[in-house]
Amino acid sequence: MPVDEVRMSRRGFLGIGVAAGVVTLTACGSGSGSSSGPLVMTVWGGDADRKTYQKRIDLLVKKYPELKVKLQLIPSDAYAQKVQTMIAGGSGPDIMQVAESVNTYSSKNQLLPLDDLAKKAGLDTGKRFGPVGSIYTYEDKLYAIPDRSGAITVYYNKDLFAKKGIEAPTAEWTWDDALDAFKELTVPGKQWGYTGAEWFPQWWSLAYQNGGTIIDASGRPAVDSDEVVEALQWAGDLVFKHKVAPSKADYADMGSEVGGDQAFPMQKCATHANGFWVTAGLTDAKFAWDIAPIWRGKKQAVSAFGSGLAISRTCKQRDNAFKAIDFLTSDAAQRQIIDDGEDVPASLAVQQSDAFLKPAWMKNDVDMGAFAESSGFIFRAPFIPEWNEMISAIDSNLANFWLGKESAKKALTALQSDLESIIKSAG
Amino acid sequence: MAILSKTASTGVPKSGTSSKRRRREALWFYLFVSPWVLGFLVFLLGPMIASVYYSMTDWDSFTPPTWIGLENYVTLLTDDPRFWRTLWHTFYYAAVSVPLGLVLGLWLANLLNKQVRARKLLRTLIYLPTLVPLVATAMIFRQVLAPNGPLNDGLGLFGVSGPAWLLDGNWAIPALVVMSAWSAGAATVLLLAAMKGIPRELYEAAEVDGAGPVRQFWSITLPHLTPIIFFNLVMGMIGAFQVFAQVYILVPKGKLRAAYDGAETMVPYLFDEAFGNYHMGYASAISWLLFLVVLVFTLIAFRTARRWVFYETEVK
Repeated sequence: MPVDEVRMSRRGFLGIGVAAGVVTLTACGSGSGSSSGPLVMTVWGGDADRKTYQKRIDLLVKKYPELKVKLQLIPSDAYAQKVQTMIAGGSGPDIMQVAESVNTYSSKNQLLPLDDLAKKAGLDTGKRFGPVGSIYTYEDKLYAIPDRSGAITVYYNKDLFAKKGIEAPTAEWTWDDALDAFKELTVPGKQWGYTGAEWFPQWWSLAYQNGGTIIDASGRPAVDSDEVVEALQWAGDLVFKHKVAPSKADYADMGSEVGGDQAFPMQKCATHANGFWVTAGLTDAKFAWDIAPIWRGKKQAVSAFGSGLAISRTCKQRDNAFKAIDFLTSDAAQRQIIDDGEDVPASLAVQQSDAFLKPAWMKNDVDMGAFAESSGFIFRAPFIPEWNEMISAIDSNLANFWLGKESAKKALTALQSDLESIIKSAG
Repeated sequence: MAILSKTASTGVPKSGTSSKRRRREALWFYLFVSPWVLGFLVFLLGPMIASVYYSMTDWDSFTPPTWIGLENYVTLLTDDPRFWRTLWHTFYYAAVSVPLGLVLGLWLANLLNKQVRARKLLRTLIYLPTLVPLVATAMIFRQVLAPNGPLNDGLGLFGVSGPAWLLDGNWAIPALVVMSAWSAGAATVLLLAAMKGIPRELYEAAEVDGAGPVRQFWSITLPHLTPIIFFNLVMGMIGAFQVFAQVYILVPKGKLRAAYDGAETMVPYLFDEAFGNYHMGYASAISWLLFLVVLVFTLIAFRTARRWVFYETEVK
């Protein structure tokens, strides 16, 4: 009935408008993180993630029977809001999964610095994870231990490459090599040589390859530099000048939820650069495919996707929480991540182990060594406290660029000024 | 009147029972109304008052709020182009979707009121879209509105080359309006029910006087429907000002950014400020400004209603 509908939406509105109030009313309640009950651990993802995390927790409890961990899985879209509400409501998690927006929390004093605990436990993050080990450091303090970390790799359709007689992509390909191959592989309007330039981790890789940075060493935005402009323009030209990558309109015509991750398995695109999860859509692929490290520009650089585990400031069992994180990120527990095909484990030893290089579930012969090879040139992305606002500003300012209506120079100049006001005002 | 009240006050036993009964009734009244009152106080009034306070603070929802007086409101009104843009989008959406929904509803109801075959089936079909969950509707519409989707193919038959609805910022609100028109069936059902309630003899009398169907519609049907139209107008307006889910689902910020920026209305904006950028105080201020906007427009609607809404019991 219409009346109900109206009431519902009004309630929805009030709910949102005054969520602030609800939050406070509950905030006066009991303090968080009980000192004897199970540790509450929040992670995001879907059912597959839940299974893998639970298996790893089971391993932990087997080793330390005195530890109890309650896993709370939150759908990815709602994770930040849910955790925000939990913390504000005074019942924040003890252990929480964090990623790029880690410093939203650490800058607001919500996470526990882990340096002392790591030292006490004898955990050397540099040794266990390589350069990624310090990725969650903010103002010289370590706030999370890396858990999952996989670089962007290039997925390519071996059949289509063979048909055109093109050699497999390598880390030594130049931008020109890549473009030549994409042109060869394109059948106008039907098949594209490449997909995967529009998302920020993808074109950031190009920007860093070209010697640019998004945020410079002194913490100022630097997206209007010649290096970044040139890299973004090259990415945009793939779509609009050379037409070797699908435009947004092309994707929309392929189906309502189709992007590069779907277009590659559909054989609409011969090459795709993205994270490990693309593999999941390829297990039943009817064509031969493989992965390779991304090509290079002036230098090698690539984005990585990953997450770490952090302890919230309100946690009452800090030693236990750290013991749990230490074990969950150890080789024994990290192996489960690849055994289930969930993601790339952050541990270097596991990335180089047979368990990772030849996973039992992988039907194809895939060069999994590409991940370990790529981790050597992962650039350090700017995990600033205003991460969400920065990404939002990027999406907004580049929207017209990705519709082919604006030059990279113009879009990035506007973005630069937006970022300057975001980073200044939030500082 | 005087005598009645006198007997009532002197009749001791009678007044005793009646006041006792009245008291018991009052007790039941309070008992039954208490869940709502409690819910209102705890879940609505408390948070509402709290949000007035938060709207005057700088609060990220983690650290304690800092009092900044009216600064949020001043920034919103003088130094936030995004606020004015979302306000304009909200007006634009409301100004087109509400009248369109009413006209469509009226037209459909009038058609269904005729003695057509399969009337019941048609009525069900027209109401059906209202029952489809919004998420499903939005998913379907995303395909319908694709650059080479069915809608643009249809327009192509008439030689019109349709826009890239959900990619182009300028076409995002029209796309939302198209989607809102799809559920005009809700108003139709109410209007149809009201049409059935109009006394037949009025039409018979009009026919005897020689009035055709068009004249009958304007002089009999429409005036009788004004209370329902008014109800739909007010509810539709409030709903349109608070539109959230349609925007959130049809043009997700992460995926269709140009369209989202072109269609962002006030509630998605305040949601983004509160839960995306952690500006809870600022978001509270937006919600109160939105409340004022809704209040003003509802008052205007009620003010002008005297001139065009006709109640049968009312003597003019």
